[in-house]
Amino acid sequence: MADQNVVLRRNRPGTKAENFYRWCDEAYEEMDSTLVVQQYIQQTIRLDHNNIDTILNAPETQDEGVWKYEHLRQFCMELNGLAVRLQGECQPSTCTQMTATEQWIFLCAAHKTPKECPAIDYTRHTLDGAACLLNSNKYFPSRVSIKESSVAKLGSVCRRVYRIFSHAYFHHRQIFDEFESETTLCRRFTVFVTKYNLMSRDNLIVPILEDESAGQGESEA
Amino acid sequence: MDEASSQNQLGGSANPAGVANRQNLEEPSQRIQYSIPGILHFIQHEWARFEMERSQWELERAELQAKIAFLNGERKGQENLKNDLVRRIKMLEYALKQERAKYHKLKYGTDLVQGDMNPPVEEGGEEVRVDPDAILSTNTNVSWKQSRHLLRQYLQEIGYTDTIIDLRSNRVRSLLGIDGGGNEENHNSTPAMNGSDTTKRMPDANRWNVTKKTPSCLEAQIQDAERAVIDNFEFLRSEGMEMDDDDEDDEPEEEDDVHRLKSPKVPKVALDVDDVDGESVDLDPDFRFLPDVEDSSPGVLGFGPGSRRVYGPGGEEDALEGLGELAQLTVTNEADATYDQISSTKENFRKTWTAKYTLRSHFDGVRALCFHPQEPTLITASEDATLKLWNLQKTVPAKKSASLDVEPVYTFRGHLGPVLCLAMSGDGDKCYSGGIDGTIRIWNIPSSNIDPYDSYDPCVVGGSLPGHTDAVWGLTYHGQRQHLLSCAADSTVRLWSTDARSPLLYTYAVEKDGIPTSVDFVYESSNQFVCSFNTANCVIFDLETGKPVTRLDTETEQGSSSISRQINRVVSHPTLPLTITGHEDRHIRFWDNNSGRLVQSMVAHLDSVTSLAVDPNGLYLLSGSHDCSIRLWQLDSKQCVQEITAHRKKFDESIFDVAFHPSKPFIASAGADALAKVFV
Repeated sequence: MADQNVVLRRNRPGTKAENFYRWCDEAYEEMDSTLVVQQYIQQTIRLDHNNIDTILNAPETQDEGVWKYEHLRQFCMELNGLAVRLQGECQPSTCTQMTATEQWIFLCAAHKTPKECPAIDYTRHTLDGAACLLNSNKYFPSRVSIKESSVAKLGSVCRRVYRIFSHAYFHHRQIFDEFESETTLCRRFTVFVTKYNLMSRDNLIVPILEDESAGQGESEA
Repeated sequence: MDEASSQNQLGGSANPAGVANRQNLEEPSQRIQYSIPGILHFIQHEWARFEMERSQWELERAELQAKIAFLNGERKGQENLKNDLVRRIKMLEYALKQERAKYHKLKYGTDLVQGDMNPPVEEGGEEVRVDPDAILSTNTNVSWKQSRHLLRQYLQEIGYTDTIIDLRSNRVRSLLGIDGGGNEENHNSTPAMNGSDTTKRMPDANRWNVTKKTPSCLEAQIQDAERAVIDNFEFLRSEGMEMDDDDEDDEPEEEDDVHRLKSPKVPKVALDVDDVDGESVDLDPDFRFLPDVEDSSPGVLGFGPGSRRVYGPGGEEDALEGLGELAQLTVTNEADATYDQISSTKENFRKTWTAKYTLRSHFDGVRALCFHPQEPTLITASEDATLKLWNLQKTVPAKKSASLDVEPVYTFRGHLGPVLCLAMSGDGDKCYSGGIDGTIRIWNIPSSNIDPYDSYDPCVVGGSLPGHTDAVWGLTYHGQRQHLLSCAADSTVRLWSTDARSPLLYTYAVEKDGIPTSVDFVYESSNQFVCSFNTANCVIFDLETGKPVTRLDTETEQGSSSISRQINRVVSHPTLPLTITGHEDRHIRFWDNNSGRLVQSMVAHLDSVTSLAVDPNGLYLLSGSHDCSIRLWQLDSKQCVQEITAHRKKFDESIFDVAFHPSKPFIASAGADALAKVFV
């Protein structure tokens, strides 16, 4: 795709699916736009989605708030894949409430008063609500600097989003495993929230870190 | 203190009342009982009365002062007038003397002895002219007439009609007691008065405004017109725009103001935005000097500044979001100043588009968007694999920026990868989206008034149209035929019907022309579609047979490399046999459908043209490009009437799609920065 000396990183109309994003990587320091962080994260994920540490390690000069914010955006974006898969299987008739283990029922915070939404509604509402919040001009007006007051919002978004993982793990195991093997998303998310202390450890109920090898074995079988 | 004084008065007024039985005072029924509340009440009452009278006096004083100022102004004007007339008289006298001398010489062969043959112009002018701030002191007649004429034109354009000018001239005439005979002079002098009024704006701006404001001397009809003029000027002045221009810059600057006045809506919006962010106000002086650089004739400039005006809001958005953008903003402008394509027409009425709504909710670039045929709603498709439905009437109250934020009403989840293209059915009930996974999905669009956090309704998912094996890049829907046309990276173009039983009607294999990048139905004829390829080919095919009907003559264009020859988008004109293509090499080209020949080619942008849209009436063309700008073109003159800077770059991509609303005055743009913007 190199045109003379200039590499144009574009997915032009007519690009085949396999050629999408198939351009050479750009070093972080050379990136020159306001969406640098997103570009960088997506690039590292494309290289290897299993390489969690590389993906989550911020470059040195990067502001941590922005780094967390952009990662959360990426997580919410990729979670759409899980939501789509769940959409087929997770019916309001079978999963009438958003639960993971037997202990807790999660109420959907997207309504004026927290409501007991069926699982699929919870998933959709949480993702939509996260999209609204993360894109709202009030809390996150800029993509290159994050207000101190808004950093706390990231924690609450993480908590709600995590429940989608836990519900899928406990109630729709097969879907979860397929998705995880494709994207390693839950594992990356768990490492992300522990690294940046966005959630308390008790809430991390999906035994992803120890369970990883077992999960792999299952999906291959 | 007050009590003491009013007590005295009380005592004074109480005395006559105190005398028994003198009940013919103000309140006969009230026995004067000196109770504290009564006293207090009386004091308050008097105090209020005094205050009222005082305020009345202040008002009167202000009024009288205004009147004085006005009369002063009038007097000054009259004096100037008188001076001009006196000068004129002197000139005429001098001319007369010269004539006499000539006559005498001719008649008698000798010189007539006259005193005082010196042309009195300069000295007389100096002597008589007491007023030091008259600028037109040394004008000769010719240039004076020219500038007078020009000023007349300006006045006409701002609506200061001839009737007003005539009225004033009549007034002056009556003041001077001249009629009929001195008509010429008066006619000359009244524009002079107007002229002197307007050219002396700097020192006399205040005076002039005050002059206009007091209605006492003006007749009712003029009032309204003048008030309108004042309002325009007032608001211009109050916004801090400089009215006191140098005479040399007078022409182009005048055109600025004048043209802005013609469309008051635009400056109000733009300048309101300026109030919010001081940075864009600083940009203004820069912009205003750009016309001077390339000024050829006043008429051409008309919307150069007008278009730059729009950078206000566009720049606003970005200034709020990232500082780097502002630098980029000025760079783009500089480049545009030297850009030939930006010229204007000389129409008086022009609508300029300004950003109104910002649609934020996607996580990744918005690849396509589509308006609903009737309602003010639109659907966007994004690389984050979702489509979102937006209702423009449901905005989020945002105080910061002038543009309103909108939140989505519904999110369509179903694709497993970026969604690349979108088409809406003719009635707005269904929409079709094509993605990188090769599927075309049908969605039943829910009402735009639903609660975004409603329960999930699986009926929204309307199924999918399988068939393509690679990324679907182009989708277009034909309202009358109710057919959908799609093109994909697997080098096929497929025709689908909305009939659920056997949707796929036809598959056109077009690999020999390359990989199709975009398709459109040819609206002018009934049975054709046009398809553009990444190899710079563009072919019109017959829908029934799949055979090429016309091959648009793209071979004659010099292509540098294969990529730069790619055609990104093709649209067909709704009524004319015209096809318009947007190219990777920054051009937009117009082709005749019948002959296949190039009608016109123009360099439209600074980077590749990514999207095109024709307005429903077929008069305008919108183009979006990776240079972060969208441009509005008039189709008959092929001239750019507006440029809007919008969206930021991600990697090297900026704007993916643009669209017109089929029935309402909206245009929208979709960007790689995950935003969609709607302009009104």
